[in-house]
Amino acid sequence: MLTQRKEIHYMDNNKMLLGVYDNPDTTLDVTKSLKEKGYDVYDVYTPFAVHNLDRVLGVKRSRLSSAAFVFAMTGLTSAVSLQSFTSYFDWPMLIGGKPFLHIPTYIPITFELSILFTAFGMVGCFFIVNKMFWGRNTNIIDLRVTDDRFVIAVNVHEGKTDVNELSNIFKQGGALEVRERINEL
Amino acid sequence: MGHTTAIQLREEKFVYTDKAKRLSYILMGLGLLLALIGFFTYHPSIEGLSEEQLHHLPAKRLLGSLLFNGYFFFLISTLAIIFIVISQLANAGWYVAVRRVFEAMSEFMPIGAITLFVVVFLSLYAFHGGIYHWAHDGVMESDPLLAKKTWYLNKPFFLIRLATFTGFWVFCASMIRKFSRQEDQLSTGLTDTTFFDKSYNLSALFMIVFGFTFSMFAWDITMSVDAHWYSTIFTIYNFATGWASAMTVAYLITWYLRKNGYMQGIVTDEHMHDLGKWVFAISMFWTYMWTAQFLLIWYANIPEEVAYYQPRMYGSYSFSFYFNLVLNFVIPFFMFMKRGAKRNPNIGAIVGACILIGHWNDVYLMVMPGAMNLATAVTDHNPVGIIEVPSQGVGLMEIGFLSLFAGLFLYIVMKGLTKANLYPTKHPYILESVQHDTGV
Repeated sequence: MLTQRKEIHYMDNNKMLLGVYDNPDTTLDVTKSLKEKGYDVYDVYTPFAVHNLDRVLGVKRSRLSSAAFVFAMTGLTSAVSLQSFTSYFDWPMLIGGKPFLHIPTYIPITFELSILFTAFGMVGCFFIVNKMFWGRNTNIIDLRVTDDRFVIAVNVHEGKTDVNELSNIFKQGGALEVRERINEL
Repeated sequence: MGHTTAIQLREEKFVYTDKAKRLSYILMGLGLLLALIGFFTYHPSIEGLSEEQLHHLPAKRLLGSLLFNGYFFFLISTLAIIFIVISQLANAGWYVAVRRVFEAMSEFMPIGAITLFVVVFLSLYAFHGGIYHWAHDGVMESDPLLAKKTWYLNKPFFLIRLATFTGFWVFCASMIRKFSRQEDQLSTGLTDTTFFDKSYNLSALFMIVFGFTFSMFAWDITMSVDAHWYSTIFTIYNFATGWASAMTVAYLITWYLRKNGYMQGIVTDEHMHDLGKWVFAISMFWTYMWTAQFLLIWYANIPEEVAYYQPRMYGSYSFSFYFNLVLNFVIPFFMFMKRGAKRNPNIGAIVGACILIGHWNDVYLMVMPGAMNLATAVTDHNPVGIIEVPSQGVGLMEIGFLSLFAGLFLYIVMKGLTKANLYPTKHPYILESVQHDTGV
């Protein structure tokens, strides 16, 4: 899930409490009640997309699709200019008596180039927004979220957050395990 | 997933008001009137054609416009039931809340099938071939290109195919509707899958049979109008045309129902969004098929194949040809891509109208150029035995029959909606559908 989060990032030393679950429904219910009680839920990590979770967390709609459209139009423009320049302006070639400048002939290359630009552009955007660069290793909050576990991460603010009550909520919701975040790197 | 507040499944019925009925009556009456005026005032004069040849044109145009209008609405109703069949086989849950709209649309199938049968019958027997070039006397014997197709393209076999195929589809559609309506009455609860299973089994059979028979149906009805020409992708192209129109009609009817206060809390913006995605996706699918057919013919440049595109692209039909692409591809692509557009009834209405006009124009382009051509003796100078007639445009006859069929279609669909609850209250997936969520 691509989110636009600028304020805090992963690698900082902010304290977090994690609740580990094995069921998407309970995860969603606990997240909802935490949000209602005003806890600063950092994020919820799930092995697959859970419906409604994005709404509960208040995740804003990603602007990736708008970026994709811009990339597609860039690809389209470059494909059409490349083809019309080479086959009409620069070096006209007669092939099977077809006209030099004819749009139907351009469809396949235009289509492919638009898709190519979109795909590369979107992957590039994804890496940049998530700050995934060469030589950088991501700190996965709990390796089990890549398999079958669900993790709710809540920011703990010194002096403000009641850690005992928070872990009670986690446990009452059916958490398998409640712990502080560990940097696994 | 159960977290939202309790869902109230009501027995909700659609009320077909007199005011709404009047619209259908006006459309039908006006359409019939326009078509008749169009027919009796049509006196073509085309250079190079004799009086006797011109004499054939009004009947050809009448049959042609009846056929393509009937075909258009028959495709819409057939593809509506096919959408249910596909969703049923894919075990889809989201569509259940709008299922009755599709069921009501498929109620038009018998009328569409009868129209096609009557027009084809009149063409073949009463008008010496009518719009079908191959059915004119002596054409199959004297034309070497067609002589080998005699075993397939002959009058009795043609009618038998048409009657059995459409008959079987109409039967399957009515059974699927029946199971769905029985479920509301007889099902013991949401966990009772008796009718779901029945519908599922019939859908599996129907899907397989439909896949094969629809190919032949499209060859017969539209491809054989240009009997010399053939394209292997033409069937899927027809399928895409019908499907895009069917999804658009369903999308618009659902908006109409919601605007009038029906299905509140059952069909939400999420369903509209997904229906809109279908409209968008199938429009792109149509473009893909169109391009695939066109590009191969364009590149290969084989005379028999190019003959189909020559009058459409460079001849008198060129306006319709490009208009087609603008309405069916450019407008939906740019206007309907954004998420907000699919959830907005106003944009939906504009795009929907464009797509429907576009696909009507598409079917017009498939049928009319070939239907208007005259048959003549095969000679060395004219090896295909065809005299091309330039486009007679879209006149009162075409518009009139469109209006007539549109009124009839609306009437049948709205009547169909009153026959059962507006959504299946005991379908096993109804709760999943009501909570459907497409995400942020």
